[in-house]
Amino acid sequence: MKSGIIITLPGYDPVTTYLSAFSKEIIGQAESIGLPVTKIAGKNVDVENVSNSLSSFPYSLFVFNGHGDEKTLFGHQGCPVIEESKNDSLLYGRITYSRACDSASSLGKNTASKDPQSCFIGYDLPFWLYHDITWETNPSKDKTAEIFFNTSNLIPLSLLKGNTSREAHEKSQKAHLKAISKALRNKDKESKVIAEALWNNYFAQVLLGNENARV
Amino acid sequence: MSSEKDNREGTKIKDSIKELVITRIDAQVPSNLRLSIGMSATGLTKEQMIEHVQRGDSIGKRIIEAHLRFIKAQVSGQLTSALVSAEE
Repeated sequence: MKSGIIITLPGYDPVTTYLSAFSKEIIGQAESIGLPVTKIAGKNVDVENVSNSLSSFPYSLFVFNGHGDEKTLFGHQGCPVIEESKNDSLLYGRITYSRACDSASSLGKNTASKDPQSCFIGYDLPFWLYHDITWETNPSKDKTAEIFFNTSNLIPLSLLKGNTSREAHEKSQKAHLKAISKALRNKDKESKVIAEALWNNYFAQVLLGNENARV
Repeated sequence: MSSEKDNREGTKIKDSIKELVITRIDAQVPSNLRLSIGMSATGLTKEQMIEHVQRGDSIGKRIIEAHLRFIKAQVSGQLTSALVSAEE
């Protein structure tokens, strides 16, 4: 694998629009250090484009933004793009960060167990995200959603800084705890539900496979 | 007989847990927030979260589990220990 990043940027509903909007920082950092970035955006997030990109570009980091379940990552309009025991070998040899519900519970385990070089960081329960509808047309201004992306973006951002997959996972976990602590000290009405959702993400986030992988 | 009692008690506990979670959602979730969980495309309103919990469907169960996980972490000291460790 070569140092580089492949990232999905769907945007067919408010949730996927948020995932993509808050991925700009990841792309910006990768480009600032001169890493090649392959962006698969909008309606192009389908099985053909994702498969072609993963086959054609041997880049060491795959960041998946989108919906998911235990065995599948879904692209534009909910079309399956990576399915367990079907095309998940496309993830072999890479670090995959999957910001999608449940995908670590089976797909991630399967990938990590079949290839010792692979690393899968994701969630074995739903990924929780609260957003404020006031900012749906301008997600990057949403301070509530930002809390969830500051903590999760730290995984790819740490990897891009040269940290191992273990270090990136742990930095994100620590950031979750600090954000929970801050939320619990806050007196805003929504602070408790934000702390609770962050705790869920902290609890659900797992590192599977190669702990020493680097981008 | 005892299994019937167990079932009744189980149902009662489930209802009381639902009530607890609904009360928490009602008190803590502002109307301007939407929760993204699972395949929810637009995010759930507070009212939709409460409906899922009342129905006890798969999303409702996920919401209940998360609330209970957080409550247990608070009560057991797991949350405090984790938060202290992050400050070290």
